[in-house]
Amino acid sequence: MRTGVYVCHCGTNIAGTIDVHALIGYAGSLPGVALAREYKYMCSDPGQELIRQDICDYKLDRVVVAACSPHLHEKTFRQAVEQAGLNPFYCHMVNLREHDSWVHADKPAATEKAMDLVRAAVRRVKWHVPLERRQVPVHAEVLVVGGGIAGIDAALTLANAGKHVYLVEREPTIGGHMAQFDKTFPTLDCAACILTPKMTAVKAHRNITLWTYSEVRQVEGYVGNYSVTVRRKPRYVIEKLCVGCLECIQACVYKQAKVPDPFNLGLSKRKPVYIPFPQAVPQVVAIDPETCIEFKSGKCKKTCVEVCAERNAIDFKQQAEIQTIQVGAIILATGFDVFDGARIPYYGYGLYPNVYTALEIERLVNASGPTGGEVVLRDGRKPASVGIVHCVGSRDLHTNRYCSRVCCMYSLKLAHLIKEKTGADVYNFYIDIRAPGKAFEEFYNRVAEEGVVFVRGKAADVYPAGNGDGRLIVQAEDTLLGMIRKIPVDMVVLATGLEPRADANDVRRLFNIGCSGDGFFLERHPKLAPVNTFADGIFLAGCCQGPKDIPDTVAQSGAAAAQALALIDAGVVELEPNTAHVLEDACSGCKTCLPLCPYSAISFVEEKKARINEVLCKGCGTCVAACPSGSIRQNLFEDEEIFEEIDGLLASAAVGGGPVRIQGDL
Amino acid sequence: MKALRAFWFRPEMRRKMKFQREADPEWAQQVAQRPGCEGLFSCLQCGTCSGTCPLSIYMDFAPRRIIGLVREGFREDALGCQTIWLCASCYACAVHCPRQIRITDVMYSLKREALQYKLYPRRFPIPVLAQEFYGIVSDRGRSSEFWLVLRMALHSNPLQLLTLIGTGWRLFRTGRLSLHKEQIEHVKELQAELAGRRGT
Ligand SMILES: Cc1cc2nc3c(=O)[nH]c(=O)nc-3n(C[C@H](O)[C@H](O)[C@H](O)COP(=O)(O)OP(=O)(O)OC[C@H]3O[C@@H](n4cnc5c(N)ncnc54)[C@H](O)[C@@H]3O)c2cc1C
Ligand code: SF4
Ligand code: SF4
Repeated sequence: MRTGVYVCHCGTNIAGTIDVHALIGYAGSLPGVALAREYKYMCSDPGQELIRQDICDYKLDRVVVAACSPHLHEKTFRQAVEQAGLNPFYCHMVNLREHDSWVHADKPAATEKAMDLVRAAVRRVKWHVPLERRQVPVHAEVLVVGGGIAGIDAALTLANAGKHVYLVEREPTIGGHMAQFDKTFPTLDCAACILTPKMTAVKAHRNITLWTYSEVRQVEGYVGNYSVTVRRKPRYVIEKLCVGCLECIQACVYKQAKVPDPFNLGLSKRKPVYIPFPQAVPQVVAIDPETCIEFKSGKCKKTCVEVCAERNAIDFKQQAEIQTIQVGAIILATGFDVFDGARIPYYGYGLYPNVYTALEIERLVNASGPTGGEVVLRDGRKPASVGIVHCVGSRDLHTNRYCSRVCCMYSLKLAHLIKEKTGADVYNFYIDIRAPGKAFEEFYNRVAEEGVVFVRGKAADVYPAGNGDGRLIVQAEDTLLGMIRKIPVDMVVLATGLEPRADANDVRRLFNIGCSGDGFFLERHPKLAPVNTFADGIFLAGCCQGPKDIPDTVAQSGAAAAQALALIDAGVVELEPNTAHVLEDACSGCKTCLPLCPYSAISFVEEKKARINEVLCKGCGTCVAACPSGSIRQNLFEDEEIFEEIDGLLASAAVGGGPVRIQGDL
Repeated sequence: MKALRAFWFRPEMRRKMKFQREADPEWAQQVAQRPGCEGLFSCLQCGTCSGTCPLSIYMDFAPRRIIGLVREGFREDALGCQTIWLCASCYACAVHCPRQIRITDVMYSLKREALQYKLYPRRFPIPVLAQEFYGIVSDRGRSSEFWLVLRMALHSNPLQLLTLIGTGWRLFRTGRLSLHKEQIEHVKELQAELAGRRGT
């Protein structure tokens, strides 16, 4: 055996704690080690070249790299080894940084531990066998879940690149939250003017299959080869036949709209047959079976059906439809929920009628909203003074610890719009104004110059004025003046934060991805893989990954689309060979392993033996540990490799005869 | 009366500037480790505590600034202010604080330290009352209102007694004020017990 050992300094990350020099001296003395070297950055080009050159010059047949986590650079070093003509799986990494130098302060002890770890690896790598990666073809179609601005943008990018996209949206229309806004910060672009062209482009694109009012029910398969089941809920209107003339809505037996309209957050009413908003895509009505008389009693005159007699698009018997599609990649763009203001009782949302959430004000300032763009109180009066309360449900351990990132900016936007429309005095109660984006600070300055008042202090209480004039008092410490302020206002606007979707956890399980501590979907790496997930081939875009504004959302959806394209255009994916396999002669056919596999990769074949589908196996090792007869083995985790590694690790304890030292998590 | 007040409460000028040598960061660290004072350094200075506090309108610093003073290590200001003595222990601030800092408990901790090192504002009635109350109770096992008020007034603002004479007389006449020094039965045992505890 001719093993080469390479110890990386990682700048001072490793060399600052571990005596690298002593370590290579020790490694060089181990049996089977042909040479041991140190280098400042092994992952750099010269570092890799060193390994390649040594393999040729010294005829190395095994390589141990003691550096950082294999998560980061296993690929790099395996590739370097492969380029020098050696099987890449003859290379093994020791995680000196995360497992040793970063978690210990005692230098001599850390160096000793490093020696143990390197010795273990040298003994393990002896047993490595050459392995081959398998290639499987990739489906060229992509599934995008969620039709907010993130999903729309990702779908269009992919479709323009010639890929077929299935866009699945839960609501009867695409558009997401952005469709509810009037203007967008910081440029005050009209939201509809920039969003609706994209929405119609989705509908018109020949590469996009748009399924609204639909949900993903099941996801099976693996990167490049996902099989997805989608349920299309009945909207009781045949989508192909409806032309969006909206005459049925006119004709409905309900002369007046009676049902609170969720698109307007209950600030207006709609009929049982409805279209969410005038520019909805697709331009197809839907019937709400909860409120439609025909569904409730079966005795309606069905004036809607009468008026649609020519097209006959209304179908009360419509059933849910199940579709199964094959896709290579999936982009999740399910967005966010708005924090429920009623969860903070002292702001009085739901108790005092003139306390609103910001999203409600977005609807009020919107020209196509419930008041035609007038900012008025519930009794129709124009407010003369308005208090905007920042950080509602953000930066608070009682609710959400994180900053929701957009509330400061949309509060500035709403302050400007309210002032413009009503001339009211507007007070912002804030902790910090976060305006770090392009042209954001300028917008903040502009709003301040317009005379909007900024009180630095979190609003502590909202209560009715004692004099019975119907106004509300917002109480806060003006921390810059060092005084308590009690400011009477007609309207309070709660800048409610952004939260993970209520069903984020179910969706996460469906797609087998993770959530971070705050409940948003977890990216693979916060800096270097921000749109990837730990499931290969599943990407994230927009607010489902964390709160962000529209510019950031669109940038991210572009990145997710590019990742999906890169995957699909490669045509094939390589699967890591760390899979499990059954030694068929030894298998007793007990079936213990079958229900345990989280990826359903094990089947039972006729000869009464278990068999593992290598393509589905993710190498988790569950079955290997569970098999009572020890007849399942796993590549790269063979018994000899593991036992030799353990023996190597504990060898110093055995030789010294003293107690086994335990340092950190091994 | 106004003349009296002017005599006792002379306007004072305070320097509104801090030298860094006046700060005691180690003390700040030490306070943050006391039970109930954890999390001090995560304060956002958002002012929710002062905004909810029913007494902050009369405080010289208000709760937020107390947290700020402690965090920066300005020990004498934090221990010498009136704020900590005005705190009514209603816990409103602690309930609302977005960082879940137990501000009321911080106030208690500062009060204890201010008493221990005699740093509380001179002749400010509340710390005087606290100590006199403790003195009477540890001597006799229970408090006697007349003597408590008398001792508090003597040690804070004796002239105030003049303003109290009328009320005191009326209470006395209606039998609401007793001059009797009340005492529990086994007062010796109590004193021994307290002495033992002080010793440990
Ligand atoms: C009051 C307010 C004002 C704002 N103003 C601005 C502004 O002026 N400028 C700005 O840049 N940003 C603003 N923002 C931020 C902006 O809303 C977001 O950046 C943007 O909406 C994120 O888009 P998205 O597609 O990720 O999410 P969403 O808009 O939430 O869209 C997600 C879509 O996915 C669908 N969906 C969810 N779950 C599923 C599922 N399981 N299956 C299928 N479909 C699903 C939803 O129905 C929805 O259509 C504001 C936010 C708020 C709350
Ligand atoms: S409420 Fe809490 S976080 Fe805010 S200033 Fe007071 S102590 Fe600090
Ligand atoms: S506990 Fe003290 S400081 Fe806190 S709100 Fe009540 S009175 Fe104010």
